Amino acid sequence: MSLQFLLDGLISGAMIGLGAIGVTLTYSILRFSNFAHGDLMAWGAYAALVAVGALGAIAGGPMAIGALSFGLPLILSTLFAMVFTAGLALLLDWLLFARLRARGQAIIVVMASFGASMALRNLLEFLFSSSPAYYSRALQVAQPIGSGIRITPDQVALLVMTAALVTGMHLFLTRSQRGREMRAYSQNPALARVTGIDVARVVRATWVIGAALAAAAGVMVGTLVQIRPLMGLDLLLPMFAAAILGGIGSVPGAVLAGLIIGLSEAAAVMFVGAEWRAAVAFVILMSVLLVKPTGLFGVTER
Amino acid sequence: MIDLLGYGAFFLSTALIFAIITLGLNLQWGLTGLFNVGIAGFVAIGAYTSALLTTPDTADRIGGFGWPILAGWLGAMVLTAAAAAFTGFATLRLKSDYLAITTFGVAVLVQLVTLNAIGLTGGPFGVAFIPRPFAGLQGNPVAFNFVNLAIIAAVTLACYLALERLSRSPWGRVLRALREDERAAVSLGKSARSYRIQAFAVGGAVMGLAGAVQAHFIGFIAPDNYLPTLTFQVWAMLMVGGSGSNRGAVMGALVVWAVWIGAGWVTSALIPTGWQARAASLQIVAIGVMLCLILLWRPQGFFGPRNGRGME
Amino acid sequence: MSALLSVERLEAGYEPGLSIVRGASIHADKGEIVVILGPNGAGKSSLIKAIAGLVPVSGGRVVLAGEDITAVPAHLKIRKGLAFVPQTENVFTLMSVEENLRVAAGVFGDRQVAAHIEEMFALFPDLARQRRLMAGSLSGGQRQMLACARALIVKPGVLMLDEPSAGLSPKFVEQVFARLVEIRASGVTIVLVEQNARAALAIGDRAYVLVEGREAHEGPARSLWDDPLIAELYLGHRKEGAA
Repeated sequence: MSLQFLLDGLISGAMIGLGAIGVTLTYSILRFSNFAHGDLMAWGAYAALVAVGALGAIAGGPMAIGALSFGLPLILSTLFAMVFTAGLALLLDWLLFARLRARGQAIIVVMASFGASMALRNLLEFLFSSSPAYYSRALQVAQPIGSGIRITPDQVALLVMTAALVTGMHLFLTRSQRGREMRAYSQNPALARVTGIDVARVVRATWVIGAALAAAAGVMVGTLVQIRPLMGLDLLLPMFAAAILGGIGSVPGAVLAGLIIGLSEAAAVMFVGAEWRAAVAFVILMSVLLVKPTGLFGVTER
Repeated sequence: MIDLLGYGAFFLSTALIFAIITLGLNLQWGLTGLFNVGIAGFVAIGAYTSALLTTPDTADRIGGFGWPILAGWLGAMVLTAAAAAFTGFATLRLKSDYLAITTFGVAVLVQLVTLNAIGLTGGPFGVAFIPRPFAGLQGNPVAFNFVNLAIIAAVTLACYLALERLSRSPWGRVLRALREDERAAVSLGKSARSYRIQAFAVGGAVMGLAGAVQAHFIGFIAPDNYLPTLTFQVWAMLMVGGSGSNRGAVMGALVVWAVWIGAGWVTSALIPTGWQARAASLQIVAIGVMLCLILLWRPQGFFGPRNGRGME
Repeated sequence: MSALLSVERLEAGYEPGLSIVRGASIHADKGEIVVILGPNGAGKSSLIKAIAGLVPVSGGRVVLAGEDITAVPAHLKIRKGLAFVPQTENVFTLMSVEENLRVAAGVFGDRQVAAHIEEMFALFPDLARQRRLMAGSLSGGQRQMLACARALIVKPGVLMLDEPSAGLSPKFVEQVFARLVEIRASGVTIVLVEQNARAALAIGDRAYVLVEGREAHEGPARSLWDDPLIAELYLGHRKEGAA
């Protein structure tokens, strides 16, 4: 038996975990499950694709670094995609979610996110068609690293990026004033207000962080798999399952749960069959809801 | 002329099947406040159940029991109700978002089963030779279309009357009271939860019935019929019609389906062939934007009662 | 004479047309402890929350140091010098004691957060010993102290408290109220909503009795306690019992 599936699971778990951070923050701070989160991911991936194209036209080549399939253009494009997607999320909030949130019916906001999700996804399909796209056509050679596991340089780079983003996120939430304000608001909105915390500022920070991480995850999926309008929808259920398994509001929980789901999916592909991969997130979700709805690190049922 | 009549009957039949699904959603959402993002999954369960129960025996597939159509419809309702009840059982003691996420998961799972459990569902090729009511009339397309329309209209009317009765019954009043105040509902505990599970299951049964009726109307089903777009269309129908009103649900289904078909004609007439697939996605964008606009500016819909029994 | 905080004919409630506070007028002078008493459902808690900006105000006004702050959003009232300690859930339970103070001290971009935290620890030595503990695991009395420290760390002119004695044992009530007297001595004006009339009137300078959303009686704390009619009607004790 090859242990390669462990690495595959780790990679897809990292993508799920990165996306689930946004889901868990949106749920614990804005108090709704955002069905458009996967589509923010896809928009981020396409924003980077457009930027890579533009930069490639200027620079005149892919400019790959070392053994990687990508170079400075994709790195710059990823940063652009993160900023762009954050802007898109803020725009959506201003146009739609903030107005509905003000009416105080959480579930209407969920429904609006569902409508926005359909519109965003199909707009991508209209603009870019449904056929897959790639940042680079360069072939990657997987290097053996022992125990029959092989890894490509791209995979190494993106795992390092994920680890850096997650660590940075954790430090931000625990060490910075804005991060503390976000945690305070998620724990007790009324007390946060009388403490002097500006809700609008917390809401903005939540969208920016959630969307930027979604865009990063989108670029990761785009680099390692492919870019499709449906890429976000396919990851939505695993991301929700990770947010709930990790315990709503817990960033380390979401990341750990993302890895658990990624590994379980890879195991299912290995032992059951690739076609059943998408069922894993559902099985995990149902088990958590039936056994321990607060998840691994959740404190209260929300 | 004959063509146009036949098309009219076909259009109305499809719209009325949507109306049945929307009636089911109105019981779940409009009356009880339960958010279902997996409508396509429940409709598919009904369609496949009835198809498997009624089709003739097939060598390469489980099922094919050759039951009468009505028995297939009943089976579809029972199984869909059971699936909905289980979903409700697992999530309705938690906040409403969990139900939304879980129903979304149900649709993903059902899609996966229809695609991959080839021995049961026929896989991507679906199930064919589903018996059609009054198949003997197929030689006369107009009569056949109108008989089908009459059957579907009768089912719609029956669902409408039954749901109107239910919503005015003491049972319906309890549901409405629970919807008004989620916190009170939570504090009522077990009995509130059981009422909501019942409502979710009955709404699911109606959706399953609609799926079964459609399967027998078309005679053929495949996984592609049950994509998230279906869920989305039904939501748009209920929101346009006005949630909380059965009349609104039916009207919303007719209007949105007409708009949908009309938009399809316009795009196919105006947009070059190479871009038509993409134009179809623009159609969905338009409906998505419309749904958001209605939520923002006319949450009570257009055809519901004026006295504010809607969502606000 | 102009009061530091003055509330004029305030109307407030959660739903339009359903006022809970119905034209209440109170005021507090600098350095006073003002006590608001009243039977259950009189709107005491809603009054103080409306002043803090947590309950929508539909009429009247709130003036702090000569400035109308009625429409100032809740999160900016503390910047104006008006701090509020809610009755329950008044600390961030999943944050440490120190983090509770840090987040409160840092909201206005203050650069001397650490110094202010140490000041609070000097004022509440019990908290200093538990600075790394999660606030959710503190005892009721210590939680109340942390809630006060959280409100005081930005040096407000007025501190409003909603039933600080609720759920505390008599020993802790005594400690909390003794601390309030010290806080007043440092120049902070205190507005106190209380059920525990005996403890509150013992430290208060002036008191209001709120009935049906409006002040029905006002007077020096001691005289209110001694008034037999008020005592029996609103404060739940008989004159003989108090003597």
